[in-house]
Amino acid sequence: MAVLSKLVKWARIKSPWIIHYNSGGCNGCDIEVVAALTPRFDVERFGILLKGSPRHADVLVVTGPVTRQTKKRLVRIYNQMSDPKFVLAVGTCTMTGGVFRGGYGVVAGVDEVIPVDVFVPGCPPKPEAIIHGVVKLLEKLQKL
Amino acid sequence: MLEEEVEEKRVFKIPVGPQHPALKEFENFTFTVDGEKVIDVDFRIGYTHRGIEKLAESKTYIQNLYLCERICGICSAAHQGCYAQTVEELAGITAPPRGVYIRTLIWELERIHSHLLWLGVAAHEIGFDTLFMLIWRDREVVMSLLEMISGNRVNYAMSTVGGVRRDISDELKHKILKGLDVLEERTKYYKEVCMKEQTILARAANVGILSKEKTLKLNAVGPTARASGVDVDIRRDDPYGAYDEVPFEVIVYDTCDVLARILVRVDETIQSILMSRWILENLPSGEIRTKFARKIAENEVLGRVEAPRGELLYYIKSNGTDKPERLKVRTPTLANLLPVAEMLKGGYIADIPIVLAGIDPCFACMDRALFIDENSEKTWVWDKEQLRIYSIKWYKEHGKEVVRERWKQ
Amino acid sequence: MSEELLLENEVLENLKKFLGDKFVDGYVQRRGRVFVRVTMEAYKEALKYALEKWNAYHLSTISGVDKGEKIELLYHLLEPKNKLSITIGTEVPKSNPKIGTVSDIFPSALVYEREVYDLIGVTFEGHPSLKRLLLPEDWPEGVHPLRKDWKPEQVK
Repeated sequence: MAVLSKLVKWARIKSPWIIHYNSGGCNGCDIEVVAALTPRFDVERFGILLKGSPRHADVLVVTGPVTRQTKKRLVRIYNQMSDPKFVLAVGTCTMTGGVFRGGYGVVAGVDEVIPVDVFVPGCPPKPEAIIHGVVKLLEKLQKL
Repeated sequence: MLEEEVEEKRVFKIPVGPQHPALKEFENFTFTVDGEKVIDVDFRIGYTHRGIEKLAESKTYIQNLYLCERICGICSAAHQGCYAQTVEELAGITAPPRGVYIRTLIWELERIHSHLLWLGVAAHEIGFDTLFMLIWRDREVVMSLLEMISGNRVNYAMSTVGGVRRDISDELKHKILKGLDVLEERTKYYKEVCMKEQTILARAANVGILSKEKTLKLNAVGPTARASGVDVDIRRDDPYGAYDEVPFEVIVYDTCDVLARILVRVDETIQSILMSRWILENLPSGEIRTKFARKIAENEVLGRVEAPRGELLYYIKSNGTDKPERLKVRTPTLANLLPVAEMLKGGYIADIPIVLAGIDPCFACMDRALFIDENSEKTWVWDKEQLRIYSIKWYKEHGKEVVRERWKQ
Repeated sequence: MSEELLLENEVLENLKKFLGDKFVDGYVQRRGRVFVRVTMEAYKEALKYALEKWNAYHLSTISGVDKGEKIELLYHLLEPKNKLSITIGTEVPKSNPKIGTVSDIFPSALVYEREVYDLIGVTFEGHPSLKRLLLPEDWPEGVHPLRKDWKPEQVK
């Protein structure tokens, strides 16, 4: 049993699968997340793979302040993911709501809706910063 | 009786979305399909509605610069520049020529980045991932140029009321010119790929037709309109910035399909490269910005720019304080909603991703599609990835006959 | 200056003559910018006139502005050939915010009218499917955020 859980942990650290969800952001962070996946930065060389379905993913990458309409859907996607699950919040909006704080359509902050493991600040953070955030998350996984 | 039942069973409703990133342009389409054909389209948007227009009324003109920039992360410079020039007109000040030229340069560089991004996404939608990766690799060239000029890759914060915030040194100018050479060579190569590659021709030619009459009637904007033979470009038709001095061609194609939309954007990218080079070579000397008094007397101004996706409109009304009375934004994708609904009608389900992406709704379409069979009350959920894979698979099976049929037309 | 604005002034004069006493106010702001205010009865005539006489076929958008007692609606038209932007405005009383649709003349108004209906609460009579466009499903009915008297407390 111990061997199996070790193997699972090893696999998870070597190849975390992510799902990307925009909870009402401006797209700036989203194109940087995609830029991190494309040849210049290429996080796929670390085994990080973008998946379309929450049921396949270990890590939920959230961008944008949570709007009233995406709130429910964000929770639903989070609930659909299988345990153990982790959340990487990319961008300043995910921390406080950023410039949109106070807008009637904004909840302000992903952590008010679902638990977050790592925040990456910046508007938008550079792909290097996003990769750094992923590394921090992997360090956290190592300690589990 | 039995036949009728069969007839009924063929008609399905497919809600697609709502996951799609953009300001108000977060869309949820409901398709009514008959077998493989789409017969009706309904949409519901507003998932990214953050209340920016209301929020802007509680912020000062300077604070709003940064709010407007974040309406859309891909055309941030178009939004911020449009806002800045509208407020300038509102306050009755003019930015110095060097400031206007640098602003125009940023607009054009942004158009290059946005069109290349779109081209990559379109390639991804039709399952041509090699092209997607290649284009995104080359797009990094223009991203680096923008970072060198402004200090940020996406939200440049270059425009300010009264001019721009940073100057371009001679050293930087040479670096940009070098980068533009690389981009020009690569873009010309991509144009060749788009015109010759069978994968693209099979999936894009004669797909998502929007006739010229419909385009005029539904007031489509930007590359979507220009791909349907409508010669309209705000840069020429309502000149702003330095566009009445910069030479450029308005690209118009009249085949009205997705292929035309691809080619319009590729050609526009080449035009933007030429324009950027012209601007750098003819950059006037002098100041880059003027001073701006924080309070603006009662006035109203209508400002338009040609964002990468089409006509972007700002209407600002001032009331004598340092905050606007009303700030109205009309983004290009909102104007292209009815036209895209028109394009989808009569097409195949498998064409939905590329046709939706065809208007460049900031990012390629839907992330979750819910299929409801109304008769058996069976429900199943598809995400964007599955729909994309379905469309690629469907074309593998049925592609040949469909393409042959299309070529006959 | 004045000779450059020949066309703009012509548009203004023409509209003034055409509408008679239904014409409220109007001015030429700069090259290519004409602002016209008309009464509630005449806005549709004015729009039709601008479309037929000046071929201003492009309806950019409809803006709603809260002016206290009244809500002002601005129809922004563009005529690309002559680089002409015509804005036609009209006012509806806030107590009874109703006005006829223009979607029969400009089909693109279908979306913009839904937006105005949603955010500022003007009902467009004759619109085939006037329903919510932007606000969330759980948003209370009859609460319109772009009105000046809107307060955050109205939404829990």
